[in-house]
Amino acid sequence: MLRKGKAPAAVIEAARAAVLMAKRSALLMPAPVVLAATPVVKGAWMSPHQVDPFAVPLSEKVDLLLAAARAALAVPGVKHADASILAVREEKLLLTSEGSRVHQVFFRVAPGFTATAVDRRRGMFASRDHEVPPMLAGFEHVTAADFVGSAPQIADEALRKLHAAPVQPGKKQVILAPSNLWLTIHESIGHSTELDRALGWEANFAGTSFLKTESRGKQKIGQPRVHLVADRTQPGGLATTAWDDEAVAAQRWDLIKDGVFVGWQTTRDLAAAVGDERSRGCLYADSYASVAFPRMPNVSLQPGPEGYTTEDLISATDDGILVTGRGSWSIDQQRYNFQFGGQFFWEIKQGRLTRPLRDVAYQSNTVEFWSSCDMLGGVGTYRLGGSFQDGKGEPGQSNAVSHGCPPARFTVNILNTGGGK
Amino acid sequence: MPLSESESLAVVRAALKAATFKDVAVRVTTSATGNMRFAAGAPTTSGEVERVEVSVTATKDRASATVSGNAHDAASLKALVRSAEELAALAPVDPEWVAPLGPQRYVEPRAVDTKAAKTTSQERTDIVAACLKVARDAKLIASGLIQHRTSHMAFGTSAGLVAHFADTEMSLTTTMRTPDGTGSGWAGTTTHARAGLDATALARRAADKAAMSQGGGPALTPGKYTVVLEAQAVADLLTFLQSALQARAADEGRSYFARPGGNAIGEALFDPRVGLWSDPMDAAHPSTPIAGDGLPIARTVWVEAGKLQSLVRTRYWAQKTGQPPVPAPRSLFMAGGGGTVADLVRGVKDGVLITRLFYNRMLDPRLLLVTGLTRDGTFRIEGGKLTGPVKNMRYNESPATLLARLVALGTPERTLDDGSLFVVPPLVVDGFNLASVSDAV
Repeated sequence: MLRKGKAPAAVIEAARAAVLMAKRSALLMPAPVVLAATPVVKGAWMSPHQVDPFAVPLSEKVDLLLAAARAALAVPGVKHADASILAVREEKLLLTSEGSRVHQVFFRVAPGFTATAVDRRRGMFASRDHEVPPMLAGFEHVTAADFVGSAPQIADEALRKLHAAPVQPGKKQVILAPSNLWLTIHESIGHSTELDRALGWEANFAGTSFLKTESRGKQKIGQPRVHLVADRTQPGGLATTAWDDEAVAAQRWDLIKDGVFVGWQTTRDLAAAVGDERSRGCLYADSYASVAFPRMPNVSLQPGPEGYTTEDLISATDDGILVTGRGSWSIDQQRYNFQFGGQFFWEIKQGRLTRPLRDVAYQSNTVEFWSSCDMLGGVGTYRLGGSFQDGKGEPGQSNAVSHGCPPARFTVNILNTGGGK
Repeated sequence: MPLSESESLAVVRAALKAATFKDVAVRVTTSATGNMRFAAGAPTTSGEVERVEVSVTATKDRASATVSGNAHDAASLKALVRSAEELAALAPVDPEWVAPLGPQRYVEPRAVDTKAAKTTSQERTDIVAACLKVARDAKLIASGLIQHRTSHMAFGTSAGLVAHFADTEMSLTTTMRTPDGTGSGWAGTTTHARAGLDATALARRAADKAAMSQGGGPALTPGKYTVVLEAQAVADLLTFLQSALQARAADEGRSYFARPGGNAIGEALFDPRVGLWSDPMDAAHPSTPIAGDGLPIARTVWVEAGKLQSLVRTRYWAQKTGQPPVPAPRSLFMAGGGGTVADLVRGVKDGVLITRLFYNRMLDPRLLLVTGLTRDGTFRIEGGKLTGPVKNMRYNESPATLLARLVALGTPERTLDDGSLFVVPPLVVDGFNLASVSDAV
């Protein structure tokens, strides 16, 4: 228990060590750090949730996971099932020497469920994940995922993947469901619009960006229908907050508008580099022992005005593939060339889903990809995806972030990753 | 350090004593780390972190729970143990539970370097200053990271096992970029000893690559190429092979090493020059001899003369299959041939030199097919010479089939660790699949 006005020796020691390091670093700095002005704030915020995940008895969680696993394993051919619930309660008290004091509590949950089907005779196996995203929410989000009820279908889809037809490679149209497209948004737009990357601050690890400091307002990214918004106020968004880690209020702003790059993600020490007077509030540290630095807000693709459904997109496609769920993903250090997989792939012929496909990956280049976007789902098709584990920085840190989007149609290079086995 | 070795062991004993359950395991991990990051030619962030983590696993009637905390006074330890026991009482029976290990004998690698353990913020600043000077002299823009760690781990069980391991580790990486953004070079290494870190030499390696790559180069036609993979690129790929060395996944048909009715142990899968092993006692590159559950890690041969010799087998899977347990590797050594990267380049008439690989992801675990991109130094080789930079490329390759297509092996070297220690040679490989062009520099 701390006595008022008396800091423990370890706190003083830590502060002194930080000051000493800052002074030593300053000797190598060509110019001092300049922080954009921000109002002094005092406040508290708790992320909206109905059921505290830590108040749910362990036995209830275990029963749910085991019941889901049993339901999947009851499907003949399914040999392995994984089920998990990851819950985080993050409590953060921030005090700044400028006088701000903010206290925030966040609840995040990540339900996970995978069924694996194995065909020993052919030496084949295939896994299918539940597509429920992690969310800034309480245990109600786990309950709504209905693991037990959906397990037989997940298991059945693992089997269907196992016996799916190999994809024919080539240039094709793909309809990317929100459960897949969120990650492509994250990698191609989310990271390329981080100003610290464009300034070279991540050059040694995550990389830089194809966008330059002078690109704002000039660089065309995609079709005019492409509108991407950064939003730290989005309900359910994993990067949603009331204030960032330097007490800047959460904001919503355009990154890509009418297909043109218009906005950076910034922090107080970055804003001046592009002539901004205020930070966009993107500073975040993943623990008490990590240095806060620029991290991604929720970045989301806005739905199209036509109000299309997923079925409308499928009906309008003569020869394509519907891709759902997250698979493998890889993108270069300046966010040009990417290659993504998925969880489940449906062949589309003459406007109909015909058969499941396997060994599918799609490859493209960020600007070519967004320039090929010719159909967007409407508001009713908009869904959030996200991850707890967006890695960046050295030493490495993880950021939780969400991306909302409707299904959308693109033209990409399709690869067969199966090698014929 | 927040806790000494004897204090860590005392915490283990105190937690074991506080337990009321019969089967308990306690782990205390203590570390002191320091880092300094630099970018755009100047320091960006620095940090020093001291951590203690106490982890208690309590089991009753085959039902277990693990609780971790960072307080280690008597009251906190008691509360932690109570919490683990309370949760274990709620947990279901684990059909795969195996009782905690009793006393074990471990090899004793000398993994602490006194100089590394005493690294100060001034020394970190000096190392960064050395990298920045190389960059300034070469008219390049430097970024990078120096970090170091001293840690020890104490582990004990209610069955009488007590184990302890201490080590140090330092790593330095730097990326040098040309001011016009058309060239980039990288170098990095990890070592347990301060003497193993030569900041200026390492920075010069990165600077030379950046200068050589300035101006960019042509795009290769996607296809299969003979490549010289520097040791870091080899480690970037072999990490996927190391992760796949799992007996259970193979026995259950969920792995590259799966075979009808069993696994691929004993099969000649790779070039006969391929040897892969783990060894905590390697004098130059020591690593922990204690696995997560307390199993002793001994020298383990995974591949010899191209034949798969062993797979990781957990204690549960060992019991179930009637085989000995094999702990997961914490290091991977690969036999080399001889010669430097330059020597290997001289032997290639037409090919590509690859410095390192980035954003590597599994595409298909059945085939161990991996994708990623070349980065920070990709050059054309013609007539045994580097003739200029080429654009970076995406690859789609399997580290398993790659080891069957070896042309030549160089002298092994330590690479940048990413969770496991790698000492591997640069390789010349035929038919490396460079699948598409990247404009990234």
